[in-house]
Order: sequence, then structure tokens, then C-alpha cells
Amino acid sequence: MSKSNIKYSSSKDFIDESRNELVLTEFEVLNAEATDFPGNHHGYDDTWSFEKFKKKLKIKIVRIDNMEMEFDLIGVDPAIPNAFRRILLSDIPTMAFDKVFMFNNTSIIQDEVLAHRLGLIPLKADPRMFEFRAADDDVGTKEDTLEFELKVKCTWNPERNLKEHINPEHMYRDFRVLTSNLKWIPMGNQNSSHTSESVGPVDDKILIAKMRPGHELDIKLHAVKGTGRDHAKFSPVATAFYRLLPQVKLLKEVEGEAAQRLQQCFSPGVIDLIESDHGKKVAKVNDARYDICSRNVFRHEDLKEDTVKLTRARDHFIFYIESTGALTPEVLFTEAAKILSQKCRLFLDELKSGL
Amino acid sequence: MNAPPSFESFLLFEGEKKIVVEQDTKVPNAAIFTVNKEDHTLGNMIRCFSNTFVKAVSINHNDLRLFKPCISLRLLLKDPNVLFAGYKQPHPLEHKFILRIQSTPSYSPQDALMNAITDLISELSLLEERFRDAVREKREGLE
Repeated sequence: MSKSNIKYSSSKDFIDESRNELVLTEFEVLNAEATDFPGNHHGYDDTWSFEKFKKKLKIKIVRIDNMEMEFDLIGVDPAIPNAFRRILLSDIPTMAFDKVFMFNNTSIIQDEVLAHRLGLIPLKADPRMFEFRAADDDVGTKEDTLEFELKVKCTWNPERNLKEHINPEHMYRDFRVLTSNLKWIPMGNQNSSHTSESVGPVDDKILIAKMRPGHELDIKLHAVKGTGRDHAKFSPVATAFYRLLPQVKLLKEVEGEAAQRLQQCFSPGVIDLIESDHGKKVAKVNDARYDICSRNVFRHEDLKEDTVKLTRARDHFIFYIESTGALTPEVLFTEAAKILSQKCRLFLDELKSGL
Repeated sequence: MNAPPSFESFLLFEGEKKIVVEQDTKVPNAAIFTVNKEDHTLGNMIRCFSNTFVKAVSINHNDLRLFKPCISLRLLLKDPNVLFAGYKQPHPLEHKFILRIQSTPSYSPQDALMNAITDLISELSLLEERFRDAVREKREGLE
């Protein structure tokens, strides 16, 4: 029942497909395992060579700005994008608040909750300009620490009138603690290499706490360098992920009402309806790239057999990087490449010295 | 709280070695590498170079889960002189992976692993170069 009943003209077609495409059927995904290893398929040379890799590898940037990018990574094994994703999430260092010294906190947020919230604020500081701080160091030096101060006191607005008593904007002053209230205090000569613009929070309008008259915060913060492996607040990306390129193939002509139903089974823009000569709408594949692969088409009895074939390209990865703002996404990817080859070199040196 | 300190996942303990190599006495030309403080990121990348491995996987699907996660492994499986390459992370709280390699007599498992990693480094440098070029092209096009 669940097996795909797609017909192949030859066994070579079948093998080619199993090597190049994942097939989405009603109940399962076929060809999920890689089989392209030497000696596995007769007539195919699967040994690795640099020349072959060079010919197959393609990188195409689709969309890029300072916070996000989307690019195509074509002709690589899944282990590579996966390693990059893992490194982006947990191995690239950034700066984040790690030590919070509370001198006074009379707001309704508890100290530990407030400290946690502060820790999660993304900072613009370039982590490559700082060192890791020793675990037992509480003071910090100008090479490994950024010091900030948060001093806010909420007061009544002296010009308030009772007509507007439900509008906090009118009644209180400084009742919202925002990231713009954080003040950078340069340590040593940090002034010469950094500005409060270049090390401060990514966004000025992140809400930290809300207060009422009489509430007060007096806090000193130390931002240090760390990796996502230690705590997620050090992760340089909001997220980094990849997916395989979806492909939709129509096996026969679909027209009229069926064509409209077919169109609705896919994400917008995947299927186009084109007016044919005899005045009927005919379905045509426009661009399957942004299909979410919902497999809704298999819910229609008349469309599920021999009408459409859903596959995904096995070696075409659409990679997304969403930065938190400290580093641009392209810098993040090159940093990840550096970290990965460093890991490999370290591994190789260890192996050589151990023999 | 009895959670282990988070730095345990990347700092070697005192006296702990990064890689421990052990010969497998049950079959010829096989070695077991224990790599400390590394995970699937590196593990899965090293794997890819054998054919026996794939046969073993198709017999027992539970093995697949065991082996699926490491990057040098990937390259190992693409080497015709490697008969078996697989890795596992014995326990999620133990920050290490165990890599087992069996090779043909022409070649020691250590050599196979070193070749795989050297190939991997060359792959990565090409990838980085191509990425830089692609970004430069795109950025120039935008201006």
C-alpha cells in the first residue's frame, strides 16, 4: 500500500533515482539512506577525489543582508551542511552578559529572573576582538570583559493629572527599562578601539523590566566571550537550518476543477494555472523551491495515482542563517568553516603525534 | 542540582588525551579510536568510505541510528580500501565518540583516517573559497 508505484523504464533509471532523489510517497519517504559508496552500485565510480568534488560543488547566494541569508549548497554530502549547522549553533563564540552584580533591585522581577533576561540580550560587540575569560576570574580585564551599568529609578510625573490616570506614559517617568538604559563603561583604554555604538545591545528597544514609582534598579554587568555549547545565550544565530530542494513533476495533464484543487495542495507559487486553447485552465509547475512538501495532494483520490511525483534533490541544500546581529551571516559561515578546519587540523596533529 | 558543569563538554579533564587508539584484536587491520570532547559534528564528517558498512546497515536498521551521526566518517566510507567505518556516541552525557575502522591489508586504519581528514581539509578550504567568491559577487551585484 505504501510503496510507490512509479514505473521505471530501466533498472538504471531506478538506481539513478535512488542515488539522486528522495521520493515522497503517501506514507513514506523513499531512498532516505545514502548508497553511493564504492562497490555498491555496479558501473558507478564512487571513490572520492578532489577533482570530482571540485566539479560538483556549487554555491549560489539567493538572498543576503546584514541579519539573514539564504544560499544554495549544491554537490556536497549531508554531513557537511550538518556540521556547519551544528557549529553555527554551538561553536562560534559571541559576547553576552555572564556576571550580573545587583546592588539594588526593588522592582517586582526577582534577581535571578532579571539576571537571566539580561543574559539573553544580544550584543553587537565583535567577539573576535576579545579573549575568553578564565573561569575563576571575577574582576576581568580589558581584553576579556565589557562592563555595563544599568541604573534606572521610576518616579511619578510631576505634571500628571488624574484625568489620564490609566495612561502610564502620562503618570510615570522611566517606568520602562529598555536596553537603551544600558550604559557602557570602558575598562582601561577600551575607548580607543571600541565605541558604545560598536559594543552595545543590537536593539535599543528590548524591554528588560517594567516598574512603578519607588522601584529602582542598580546593576553592574560583565559581558564575556563564550560559546553556545556553554549556554544558548552565546549562540551567534537566532537559528541556522537547511532543507533539501523540493521538486514537483506533473505526470499527466490536469485541467479544470482538478487543476484548481491541485494548485491548492501546494504552497503559493508552486503550481500555475494556464489558459489552454480550448478555454480550460491547465495546471503547470512554476517553481517548487518554496513548497513546504505537505503531501496534501495524496488526500485526493483522483490526484494521488500517476498524476504528480514529489521528490527532493539529494545533494541540493538550501541553507538559511539568521544572525542575532553581532556578526553578519557571511562572516558567521566563514568563521564556521575556520572552526571546522581547525578541528580537523587538531585531530590530524593528535593522530600524528600519537603514532 | 546535580547537573554536570557545562564546560565538561569542551574542556579535557586533567591527564585526559584527545584521541586514544586501540587495536581491535578480533579482526585483522581494525582499530578503535576514542575521541574525547568531540561530537557528531566531527564524527559524521569523518565516516564516509566503505562498502561493507552499508551492507551491515541494510541488515539491521537499529545499527543505522547508532552510526548515523559523524564528518570524517563520511570520507572514510568513500575510500575503497576501508572495509568498515562506523561511529557512535556511547552516552549523551559522556562527551566523546568512538570510531571503528577496518581497512584492507594494504593500508592501516590510522593511515585511512589521516587520509580522510586531509581530504576533508581540502574540501573545506575549497568550500570556503567558493563561498567567499559567491558572497562577493552577490554583494557587488547589490550595490
